[in-house]
Amino acid sequence: MEHHSEISHNRYNVLIEFAHIHLEFQRPELESVLSLHDIAIGRDCIEVPLPSSIPTVENYRPFLILSFDYHYAKEKFNLDDDGYVIQSDMSRFSKIDRTKPTIASVLSRCTLIRSAIELWGAGPSFDSCVEHARQLSSGCAGRITLENCMKLSSSWKITIHTLGTKFNREEQNDMRMKFAFFNLPGKVQMVNPTNEFLLIREVELDPKGTPLSQERDNFLSPPLAVYYGRVLGGIRDWRGNGRLDQFSLKKRSYLGPTSMDAELSLIMTNLGLVRNGSFCFDPFVGTGSILLTCGLRGGYCVGTDIDIRVLRGRSDEENVLSNFKQFRLNRPDLIRSDNALYHRHYRMNKPIYDVIVTDPPYGIRAGARKSGTKEEKIRAIPEDRRHDHIAQTKVYPVSDVMGDLLDVSARTLVMGGRLVYIIPSMRDFDVEKDLPNHECLEIAHVCYQPLQTELGRRVVVMKKVKEYDPSLRESYLSSVWINGPESAEKCANIRERLLEAAKLKPGYEEKAAYRKKRRQITREEKKKQRAKHV
Amino acid sequence: MRLLTHNYLQSTVKGTEKGYPLKIEATTIEYEESPFDAEFVRSLIPKIDYSTVLIGIQQISDKLEESNNIQGITIPDLPESIENEDLQEDLLKKLHTVLFDIHVVEGDLVCPDTGRRFNIKKGIPNMILHADEI
Repeated sequence: MEHHSEISHNRYNVLIEFAHIHLEFQRPELESVLSLHDIAIGRDCIEVPLPSSIPTVENYRPFLILSFDYHYAKEKFNLDDDGYVIQSDMSRFSKIDRTKPTIASVLSRCTLIRSAIELWGAGPSFDSCVEHARQLSSGCAGRITLENCMKLSSSWKITIHTLGTKFNREEQNDMRMKFAFFNLPGKVQMVNPTNEFLLIREVELDPKGTPLSQERDNFLSPPLAVYYGRVLGGIRDWRGNGRLDQFSLKKRSYLGPTSMDAELSLIMTNLGLVRNGSFCFDPFVGTGSILLTCGLRGGYCVGTDIDIRVLRGRSDEENVLSNFKQFRLNRPDLIRSDNALYHRHYRMNKPIYDVIVTDPPYGIRAGARKSGTKEEKIRAIPEDRRHDHIAQTKVYPVSDVMGDLLDVSARTLVMGGRLVYIIPSMRDFDVEKDLPNHECLEIAHVCYQPLQTELGRRVVVMKKVKEYDPSLRESYLSSVWINGPESAEKCANIRERLLEAAKLKPGYEEKAAYRKKRRQITREEKKKQRAKHV
Repeated sequence: MRLLTHNYLQSTVKGTEKGYPLKIEATTIEYEESPFDAEFVRSLIPKIDYSTVLIGIQQISDKLEESNNIQGITIPDLPESIENEDLQEDLLKKLHTVLFDIHVVEGDLVCPDTGRRFNIKKGIPNMILHADEI
């Protein structure tokens, strides 16, 4: 049963191709980045169902079609320059373009988008795609699109993107020829043409993103859908080596065991709507990896941590500040303070932060601490020793880490400001009931990233929707966990549960012994190094 | 530590009556120019306590004069109040310099009530309270 295209040529249509990674983050990231430009799917554009040669496709499809009213698109975006000039500087660390941005510059901020094309034809089969493309100029938007192309294009090429299926040169040329009716001016140029067309033959993917086997009894299975259009942004794959962000971030000078992987922190700052001039805060700043991404996106950065060693880094050349310096950013302000006592350290008359983005400590890689002592009797520190006395800290239960984080966020975020945090989750985690809550905050997105069979993590995005009443603090804190201590336990004891799960697996004993030996070797190496430097 | 950060720091050590604003006793100050964003400075004005900014800048100026260590830092003149002030770009630029470009790298923040000192080292103030102060 063929699904006929509802893709109207009276509208401006864009086909987005996603990477096959972080699947749950893709739409939230896209929606967040669009909202930075005040674009909402459903209000300013619509999502059109993908054509499909199979009635029900269970597996994930890495495509999405956004359809814009042509006049809206013309007003909002710079349509003329998009893809007609090869853009070497994609301005990924987007300061919001106050003049009209191109669609590519808007969308390329999404880490998970590979490319976008101006859709000229689409259908559940090759022939229906060609037929749909033939009708391009019958629609008002399509006609102008074609006219523009006739004017601006002086050289072009058609790239065939077949998702795993191989076609020989002759077959590829046949496919290209089917679109020759456009009669574009200029010549075919393989290297750096003024614009590139993409002919995509979509096939079904398995859960890992590998195309399902296409051959059966020596016959090639029909495609799932076929698309044809003009590449926006002048680059075929935004995630290739041309991208600066991820790869340079990996080279930053100060990295620690808890440093956020670069890609996730880029996604988190998108979900948090960090833009030029955002006041950004990370209460558990650690080595500053997330804060750095905020800085790269033009945010003003403040970070706090209770651990002075992490704040100071390994040396003057290897610390949070040196990372910022390496990327030529203004230094962040760092403070050694205790998020459990935020209200004690900081005067909070007015909400100040636009974004709070953080990876709180859970005891998996870094134990959480807070001020105070585990001792029964609190001893006063003698006056003469106060200045140098290193204040004691005690264990900070995860349930309190999260409760305090939400409460501080509710109090210090501006209205509409976002909190983005990570929470480790085992599989038995009820997103509805096990996440921490706060009356002043509303959940905008929850995205799951699987890490191992048993363990994954969720990135939670919350929006401030209600003003904070300081007199209700106790009441807010006591309602954080709907299911009470049970939910907090699910996050809190993950270290123990991970350990238990690991012990049940074969080979655990050997692995543990091996790791112990390696730690010993590393310790001895370090001792030798230090002895040399003395 | 920038003056913007100092604007929010307080001491609530047990028994303190008024631990704000903290007195800045700077031993090392640095100046680092940063790009000016008028919109951002404007957005900060409702979020800060302006009188604390003036006090902070006074304490830093005193220190600069005393040590004869101007280092080419010219502290801009700020008006007594900005409530009814027309927020022209000139004023915003001065405010930008004062809030963002002056860094207290070494020194202490001192509680005006109890004298409790919070050390600033390598630009990072240490606000951690001891167990008996909570």
